Amino acid sequence: MSDQQLNNLIKMLDQIIANNLHHGDDDKVTDVAADHLHKFWARSMKQRIIAYASESPAELSALARSTIAKLEAAPE
Amino acid sequence: MLHYYDPRTESYQPGKNRLNPDVDYGTPVSLSEELVSISVDGRDITVPEGTSVLRAAALAGINIPKLCASDNLEAFGSCRLCAVEIEGRRGYPASCTTPVAEGMAVTTQTGKLAKLRRNIMELYISDHPLDCLTCPANGNCELQDVAGAVGLREVRYGFDGENHLDAEIDDSNPYFSFDPSKCIVCSRCVRACDEVQGTFALTIEGRGFDSKVTASQNDPFMDSECVSCGACVQACPTSTLMEKSVIDAGQPEHSVVTTCAYCGVGCSFKAEMKGDQVVRMVPYKGGEANHGHSCVKGRFAFGYATHKDRIKEPMIRETINDPWQVVSWDEALAFSAKKLKGIQAEHGRESIGGITSSRCTNEETYLVQKLVRAAFGNNNTDTCARVCHSPTGYGLKTTLGESAGTQTFDSVMKADTIVVIGANPTDAHPVFGSLMRKRLRLGAKLIVIDPRRIDVIHTPHAAEGLHLPLRPGTNVAIVNALAHVIVTEGLEDQEFIHNRCDTEAYNAWRTFIAEARNSPEAMEAVTGVAADKVREAARMYAQADNGAIYYGLGVTEHSQGSTMVMGIANLALATGNIGKEGGGVNPLRGQNNVQGSCDMGSFPHELPGYQHVSDPAVRERFQAVWGVPIDNEPGLRIPNMFDAAIAGSFKALYVQGEDIAQSDPNTQHVESALRALDCLIVQDIFLNETAKFAHVLLPGSTFLEKNGTFTNAERRINRVRKVMEPIAGLEDWEVTMALSNALGYPMHYSHPSEIMDEIASLTPTFTGVNYDKLEQLGSIQWPCNDEYPEGTPTMHTVDFPIGKGRFAITEYLASEECASRRFPLLLTTGRILSQYNVGAQTRRTSNSDWHEEDLLELHPSDAELRGVKDGDWLGISSRVGHTVLRAKLSTRMLPGVVYTTFHHPSSGANVVTTDNSDWATNCPEYKVTAVQVEKVSQPSDWQRNFVDFNKRQQALLKPTMESGEDCHATALK
Ligand code: SF4
Ligand code: SF4
Ligand code: SF4
Ligand code: FES
Repeated sequence: MSDQQLNNLIKMLDQIIANNLHHGDDDKVTDVAADHLHKFWARSMKQRIIAYASESPAELSALARSTIAKLEAAPE
Repeated sequence: MLHYYDPRTESYQPGKNRLNPDVDYGTPVSLSEELVSISVDGRDITVPEGTSVLRAAALAGINIPKLCASDNLEAFGSCRLCAVEIEGRRGYPASCTTPVAEGMAVTTQTGKLAKLRRNIMELYISDHPLDCLTCPANGNCELQDVAGAVGLREVRYGFDGENHLDAEIDDSNPYFSFDPSKCIVCSRCVRACDEVQGTFALTIEGRGFDSKVTASQNDPFMDSECVSCGACVQACPTSTLMEKSVIDAGQPEHSVVTTCAYCGVGCSFKAEMKGDQVVRMVPYKGGEANHGHSCVKGRFAFGYATHKDRIKEPMIRETINDPWQVVSWDEALAFSAKKLKGIQAEHGRESIGGITSSRCTNEETYLVQKLVRAAFGNNNTDTCARVCHSPTGYGLKTTLGESAGTQTFDSVMKADTIVVIGANPTDAHPVFGSLMRKRLRLGAKLIVIDPRRIDVIHTPHAAEGLHLPLRPGTNVAIVNALAHVIVTEGLEDQEFIHNRCDTEAYNAWRTFIAEARNSPEAMEAVTGVAADKVREAARMYAQADNGAIYYGLGVTEHSQGSTMVMGIANLALATGNIGKEGGGVNPLRGQNNVQGSCDMGSFPHELPGYQHVSDPAVRERFQAVWGVPIDNEPGLRIPNMFDAAIAGSFKALYVQGEDIAQSDPNTQHVESALRALDCLIVQDIFLNETAKFAHVLLPGSTFLEKNGTFTNAERRINRVRKVMEPIAGLEDWEVTMALSNALGYPMHYSHPSEIMDEIASLTPTFTGVNYDKLEQLGSIQWPCNDEYPEGTPTMHTVDFPIGKGRFAITEYLASEECASRRFPLLLTTGRILSQYNVGAQTRRTSNSDWHEEDLLELHPSDAELRGVKDGDWLGISSRVGHTVLRAKLSTRMLPGVVYTTFHHPSSGANVVTTDNSDWATNCPEYKVTAVQVEKVSQPSDWQRNFVDFNKRQQALLKPTMESGEDCHATALK
């Protein structure tokens, strides 16, 4: 498994969150970010980031973690 | 078939009849609503006020002889051949410069007029070489026709008086020659260059007998300001200005109307043919996008279609170090299918994917994404629009509800203020650039937001544009500053906002944008643009009756590309510049069918018509027609495919007509991804950079070899018509179909029109589109459905597809890619007129005479600091790569910004661009790369490897190309 792929996923997720911080409270921001991942990320990308969040949560920002949690909870 | 007005069988109704584009009505149309009735030779005709007598007569079916007039040029009145008699008036007025007046009675043929015309022709002919039989214009010469029409029988002056018969021919332009001995000084060429093209390269020098046509300051055409658009050649009534291809091949004998395959303007052309050989391309007056004009690419650069480098037969190989092996279509497809199936069996359904082409037709693109979704069984489809206009799709869909520009090109003629952001219309969309310049000459104001001083800013005979030279990467900062001024200075269109926009979103946006941190003063330090200039620009745009925004890749190819597109939509919503002619948000699409490839469902998350794959109702409709289940999760985008390939989970790719190895950023990363694939299938017309990493090479067909449709930047669906047989027997859609059948998913279409019928049945914005209607109407702008049966020129006139327009908050975030001590300069990229994108086509034509290599433009002060002179070799390093280009000093950019084009693969321009990308769509940030530049003495490592690798790959191809003189491939029909 290449870390480059994972690094890019994390970078993309951080970028999505950064560009949606204007939504105000964290709950809204992570809702929007999770919805974005849901709509635009491929299944394998979602699986990869969800797996990573459960392995090494410490490496991710709090907003990234809760975005991923929401993505995981969302119905298919 | 298209029905044209025929004066013999019906009466003329201004604005109602469809005029015949093959007829020259002598002078331009008058747009007046007042009508005037006259009689010509006893025939009554009613025309708009301001129409010339010459045009009125032509509309009545009466042809008055003429030489200096043409209906794409203002009347000039110099040849006097069009003289007529008008009851109650003295003398013989020129009908081209005489406007109609109510009740006028005109006579066009009398003994006196005949004599007058013969005398004029006699004078012309006495100074004209009488080599008609060997003249290239023979059979298609207006001078000859008029001499015949007026009955010229003798030339009393003889031919030995003073004349111009020895004037020297100017052969400098690769595509046309100028033989002044044949010139009748009608000045049509001069006026075409001024009025149609807007370059003002030609003048008539001298007076009376001594007058002659000259380019610039008496330069050869090639050294003049001429941009080789060919408008003068088309306007010339003699063989003075003549295509060299006609001089070589002779006059064409039939023609077919089709669409240019270069840029997103989508010009219509008549391909004029001799058998199956294209003799010349003549822009078609009936084309709604170009009205008979073109640029150097579309008109002249078609020779690549018959270039010796064309791939003529299918080929396969096990590894990329093996020589190519020529095989039959059946073998190539069976080989491909076996590999694809094997890989899926071993690595899973999602381990393969496909890339559709923005160069191919709608029907072909539709089939490739269908192949991926139905036969591969996943959504791993993407297109090169990913790397150019994907943020347009996202940004416009979010704010306006539809992923497309809002206007027609002609709408610019009603704009009062034109804003151009990150686009270079005179180079990249030349025919539209000419139209914009025409509007600027009529007095519209211009604002240009671009790091580089582009040509349109200085338009001859128009006021200088207002240039905001911002730092690359600060688009959102400037668009926010503009909006801030509009909001805080009370320049909003409150009525429009109230009636047409979502209030909650508007209020949130208004509060955000009014904050002082978004003011031009606060943003000055970020953008580098003086606050008062920004304020002036905001007022110019907001206070205009009609303000139109045109933008290009300088907007989208940024880490905040999508945000910027939404920022542009905000401006248009706030000022009520949506839903009317003269306004709008207009993405200038790069490639001929970028709009179409996006419409056709190339993106991994959207089925055709921008319908999300996660919507069960949508999937159901497609499943019912396609007969297989469709995955409900989006697939991989191009950069994700590369990452997955390097990670080892993505193993095979089918690429139709797209050169990802050259066009995508961070070349070395792309190359590693391509090398990691077990099976790369490339379908293309040449051995492009991507094909050098391929295992299967399927010959593609050019636009001249196929039927289909392209959709241009104004959503106009234009027909592409086959004028010659595909070089390897199959059109591109037939190849995709055959691959699908080989994979066991049946596809059976006998003509692209059947594919369009399927598209129409599944795509709500296309339900009214079919080939018969395209024949009837010429072209259709989607949406075309029950509500808009003839299409939609201007969008959002009543409401938005999402109901109300939605303002979006556009917070500026600095790009990670910023100048530093190590990389103090910002590199931005673009293109030039004569070359097209990766250059695979234009480099194989004489267009290279204008642009032999990519150069690095840098400001003299940056050059001085580094001791660099014009022409020096420069090493350019970014944090991902290094390449070498020659220097060109230029003051077009501010100090600190450097610029290059990317038309030549060996330049390695994308070796230095990074894989930073737009947050919403992963569109790469091509337009900002922090670099250092220094003098060097040799090419970069990458370039040396490139040369070696290229040599090796060419050698692996060579034996097949030699044996491939005549095509052995068995057609699969
Ligand atoms: S080719 Fe075009 S630019 Fe050149 S002189 Fe003719 S009209 Fe002008
Ligand atoms: S070159 Fe042709 S168009 Fe121009 S003045 Fe001479 S005859 Fe007329
Ligand atoms: S403007 Fe574009 S579409 Fe028109 S001829 Fe030139 S390249 Fe072709
Ligand atoms: S056509 Fe009217 S003066 Fe030449």
